[in-house]
Amino acid sequence: MKIAFLGLGIMGRPMALNLIRGGHDVTVWARRVESMQPLIEAGAKSAASPAEAALGQDLVVSMVADAPDVAEVMRGVAQGAAPGLVAVDMSTIAPAAARQIGLDLAAAGVDFMDAPVSGGEVGAIAGTLSIMAGGSDAAFAKAKPALECMGKNIVHVGASGAGQVAKAANQIVTGMGVLAVAEAFAFAAKNGVDRNRVREALLGGFAYSKILESHGQRMLDRNFKPGFKSWMHEKDLNIVMQTAHELGLCLPGSAATAQMFNAMVGSGMGEEDSIAVLKLLERLSGQE
Amino acid sequence: MKVGFIGLGAMGRPMALHLQRAGYELFVWARRPASADGLPATLCATPAELGRQCDVVFTIITSSADVEAVALGSNGLIEGMAPDSVLIDCSTIAPDAARRIAARLAEKGIHMLDAPVSGGTQGAIDATLAIMAGGDAAVLERVRPLLDCLGQRIVHIGPSGAGQVAKACNQMIMVAAIEAAAEAMRLASASGVDCAKVKQALAGGSAASRVLDVMGERMVKRDFAAGIEARLHHKDFGLVLEAARKSGVPVPLTASVAQQLNALMAQGWGKDDTASLLRVLERA
Repeated sequence: MKIAFLGLGIMGRPMALNLIRGGHDVTVWARRVESMQPLIEAGAKSAASPAEAALGQDLVVSMVADAPDVAEVMRGVAQGAAPGLVAVDMSTIAPAAARQIGLDLAAAGVDFMDAPVSGGEVGAIAGTLSIMAGGSDAAFAKAKPALECMGKNIVHVGASGAGQVAKAANQIVTGMGVLAVAEAFAFAAKNGVDRNRVREALLGGFAYSKILESHGQRMLDRNFKPGFKSWMHEKDLNIVMQTAHELGLCLPGSAATAQMFNAMVGSGMGEEDSIAVLKLLERLSGQE
Repeated sequence: MKVGFIGLGAMGRPMALHLQRAGYELFVWARRPASADGLPATLCATPAELGRQCDVVFTIITSSADVEAVALGSNGLIEGMAPDSVLIDCSTIAPDAARRIAARLAEKGIHMLDAPVSGGTQGAIDATLAIMAGGDAAVLERVRPLLDCLGQRIVHIGPSGAGQVAKACNQMIMVAAIEAAAEAMRLASASGVDCAKVKQALAGGSAASRVLDVMGERMVKRDFAAGIEARLHHKDFGLVLEAARKSGVPVPLTASVAQQLNALMAQGWGKDDTASLLRVLERA
């Protein structure tokens, strides 16, 4: 399949690489020209703009930072697109923003699908991302062979925006999950109990989770390198809280968690992994 | 002096009348012209036309987008107001938006003060509003006689946007206090204790506050008809949380109260008084 890939950051680069390895004919575009180089070396063509990248493609995939970036990139795609093009945005943005971009692109004859991912850089490299798609059946069917090169658990959640809703729900669970594990560890430590043993005990019971297992271990190792940067988790929780505000939805746990991440960004921990919330808890309770 | 007034709602209408009674010639514009009925004022067709006639223009409308449209949109104030005239925006909007609008107006030599108010409908009627102003101090001094017609405590907080920051602080404290009063009332009645007695006792002690007086009384009487509609506090909390986020300042209590406001909205009580936070607690 002829695929254009737009946005080659921490996530986008390995995802595009997996499309090339999957035998697809890939054209890349990135704002910073130098980030295209490794992909060109791996066999990709390059384009000077999103519009040029979209010319003659079967599929366009984007992976950029935020809603305004997606909108801008997709405006370019609409200019270069032939009617019937499917465009898949895998960035994490607000559901309402995704729906609006979908409407705008439909007017240009482009079938837009939101397909955000979970699994981080590790999942992107291994091609084991969870992918949550929102859009038409036709767009999902068309994109599926490409998505299968990048992820394992690929679910067509529903209509336009539904993928972003699922991703926001994912961030609620992971955000509170990371905070819950950090609080459990802070609790154990303040009680003078070995956190390693606590983690080990909990892994066998109902508190088992992937977060307790892998994020928990990194907390114990005090390895705060990202992973998933706290400022990005803060951004995602802001999408959750803004959507809740607009809908009139009471999310007390998410709200409290969002404030912890807000504090992390404000106190200079934004570039660290979100598990650094443990350090914030320790600071608040004098456990440093 | 000719004074323009835009936003003739529960707050704006009594404020406009105070200015007119003080001898200022009043010009108004309203999205729904009917809301100007019975006002001793000249009705203008557009904000631009109003701007052309007036030396000072007041606005008190709901959202950042509304103020932006009235000030900068097509047929907006910016097309009519003369250099050196003054826009006093009494709306509660985002500090960022206030700064942005002021900067655009400044390009045409038009001054803007952000001057949000606190004190509610009663304060507007009694001309006892607290006014927190952001912008050029000299401009504030020029228009202070007009503001004196509307309020008692007029404070220059700082440069453009500073008034809105102060208002955000005001809303944080006030609505959190309403939630605290609601929770106390809820605990009292759930414990089989008379709310009215609790409120009466508290009024004499360290927990005494204006919020407990006014909102506590509404809760005791179960009078949820708006004073200030809760949807406006809900809107304000969106602004506060956004500002906190931009500053990287954690506001755990505000965020928690915001969720109670979300629940209030979900119950369909947005047009009732914020004392309805008590009813949210009763749903749990």
